[in-house]
Formats: sequence, structure tokens, C-alpha cells
Amino acid sequence: MVANGKEIDPVGRQICSPMPACRINLLVLPFQVIAVPIKQSMARKEIENEITLTMNGSPVSGRAGMTILEVARENGIDIPTLCHVSRLPPSGVCRLCVVEVAGSRTLVGACHTPITEGMMVATHSPKILAARKILVELLMASHPDSCLICDKANICELRNIAADLEIGLPRFRARKHYYPLEYENPNIIRDMSKCILCRRCVVACQDLKGERLFSVAYRGFESKVVSGCDQPVDKEACQDCDECITLCPSGALRRPRRPGEERAKKALFIKG
Amino acid sequence: MSQQAISNRHGEQDLIGRLKEAQAKFGHVSEEVMAELARSLDIPINDVYGVASFYSFLSTQPLGRNIIRICQSLPCYLKYGQTIMESVAQEIGIIPGETTADGKFSFQLTNCIGLCDRAPAMMINYDSHVDLTPKKIAQILGTYK
Repeated sequence: MVANGKEIDPVGRQICSPMPACRINLLVLPFQVIAVPIKQSMARKEIENEITLTMNGSPVSGRAGMTILEVARENGIDIPTLCHVSRLPPSGVCRLCVVEVAGSRTLVGACHTPITEGMMVATHSPKILAARKILVELLMASHPDSCLICDKANICELRNIAADLEIGLPRFRARKHYYPLEYENPNIIRDMSKCILCRRCVVACQDLKGERLFSVAYRGFESKVVSGCDQPVDKEACQDCDECITLCPSGALRRPRRPGEERAKKALFIKG
Repeated sequence: MSQQAISNRHGEQDLIGRLKEAQAKFGHVSEEVMAELARSLDIPINDVYGVASFYSFLSTQPLGRNIIRICQSLPCYLKYGQTIMESVAQEIGIIPGETTADGKFSFQLTNCIGLCDRAPAMMINYDSHVDLTPKKIAQILGTYK
């Protein structure tokens, strides 16, 4: 807007910057914006087959074959997971790592979705946070309320994530599982009522030990991780390896506590 | 990554076919049969048990001579499938999941058997019975020995 030969803005204040400077900026800026990124990205692509994508609005890059979760963790974005173990193949069953990908009809699991060029990913949008919260709430709703006496309470991943996502008192009334404690094996105690069916023990036994002692049996709500024909874990086959026990995100698997042994780690402090 | 997950499962090819064969031959898949299958296919017995316990047409427990499967899915429910279940239970005196003492009938509930157009429906062995009413039950069950 021009008044009395001087430029003013609509409110009436005089605009300070003189016109010539504005013109120079406008002319120079486009060249800077276009020229610099092209040079950088081309130089990088020559090194390895790099893929650039947008995560939460900022550009990130990864190598071909990486999953969204791997790229996110490399860039310091925290996506919670319960079933994923970085050194094992992804099973994608806990659905906690779901993210929004532009153009995808549904939320996709970050731990098993490979990145593609130009992908637009949102990892913490309100929709995703709501989905994650409900998933953990449902897990907690059918989880026995025995955290106070649980051996793994202080190192429980499920409890940690529930605290992190600020899951309050249960909103849902879900059926709970009641399975007898399996303590016949001197190396492992299994409490399947605490199992969240993440299948980490199934994959760990197979891929880390080559034993394949566990499988998922039955269907739907009755699904359960079994050994043999739903029998106690074989004493001969399961030898003190502890792989599945350390990986178990809940208190379902634990090592029998020897007399005088203390609980693992300090008490977990819950937020809020 | 996903390729690794698939290739681990190659050994289980045709497991379902063999389990079906065992089911047809012996009436149920016993633990001995599962152990034998696991040995011949070189897979752990828990994997065989996992598959056998997943499918409702495979049974790990001995069953009666005739297996009654009543559909419990929505279309049959809306056409009063509950009354059919009740009248079958009354007729043979057992509840779903049980086998009669004389080993004549096993009573199970199943999910959709694809006969929704003529609901309520049930299957006895592999014969389908459709448009059921409580009155028809006694006559249908009488044809099985």
C-alpha cells in the first residue's frame, strides 16, 4: 500500500526495509534454495543407495532395505514397541509401532514396513497416539493385576510403556486368562496368564538358539504360547540359556529365584 | 527381513494335508500321530500342535462317531440359531464341546460355514442341514447311528 509516496503496511505503519533490498533478496533466494540441496543429495546418493523421506515434517534419510522404525530410531524418534527385537526378524504382532504413512489406507507397522523414496511418515500424530494408547489399555485390561508381587515388575516393558503413555485405571472390562503356573522346569517359570503374545520367545528360541521349543497354539482369545503338546517345557531341551527370559516384555517368563537373590533392578517409578 | 521369516516356514509344507488325512483316518489327531508327523517333516512337535489346535475341523481329542457343528455366526444367530443349539443340547443331553457317553455324537459350535442364505444351518459330519427349526432336529438326528 502506498500513501504520500511512502510505502506503509495495511495497518498504517511505515515499512522500514527499502525496496531495492527486497528485490535483491527475492532474486537471490530461489537460487540458493534450489541449488544447494540438489548438490548435497546427489553427492550422497553416489555413496550408497540412499532413500530420502519425510518424518514428522522433517527430511530424513536411510538406506534401501531399512524399516521405518530403524530410520526413526537412527534419527532419535522414539517409537514404542513390545514385540520388536532389533537382532531378530520382525513379527509385527504388537502393533504398538504403528505410524501414519501418507496415501496408506490404514496405519502401518513401522517395524516391518520398508522405507520408500518420498514417503511421508507421521510417528506421533493424535490419531496414532490414540491408537497406541488403546492397544496398551487393552493389553493391560486383560493382564492380571499382580504387578505388586510380580518378579519382573521393575523391569517390565509393558508396565514401562503403560506408564509412558499415561494409561490410567482400566477403562475396559476384558476377560482375563487364568493358567496354572508352569514351574516344572528348573530353568524357567512360565506364567501364561501374564503373556501378551508378543512371540519374542518363539522367535528367540528359534533364531538365537535353534531349539524351536515354543509355538503359538489355539485361536483367538484362547491363543497361547505352548511347548510340546501344551506341556511343561522339556527339561532336556531347555538348558539355562535365558534368551527368552531376558527378552520377555512382561512377567510371563522368569528364572526361578534362588534363595537370597534380590529382585531385578530398583523399583520403577510411575509418572503422574 | 521378511524373506527370512518366510523361509523358516518351508518345512511345514503340506502339514495341514497330512493332519487332515490323520483326522479322516483316526477321527482325531492323537499325540502319537503329531509326534510322528513332526519327525517325518523335521519340525518341532509344538508347531504341529499349534496348527492342529488352530483349525476347528482338526481335533486333538477323541470325538464321537458323528460330529454336530452348529453355526454360531451372526446370520444364523439372527435367524434364532440359539434355539437350534438348545434343542440339539436337549435332544442328546450334552452341551457344546462335549461327546455323548455312548460315543455317538460330538457337539461343537463353529464359525460361519457359508450357508447364511439358508440360515440357521448346521453340519453333521460333512452333510449340511439348512433352514433348521427346533421341530426338525429330532428327525435329523435320528438318521445318524
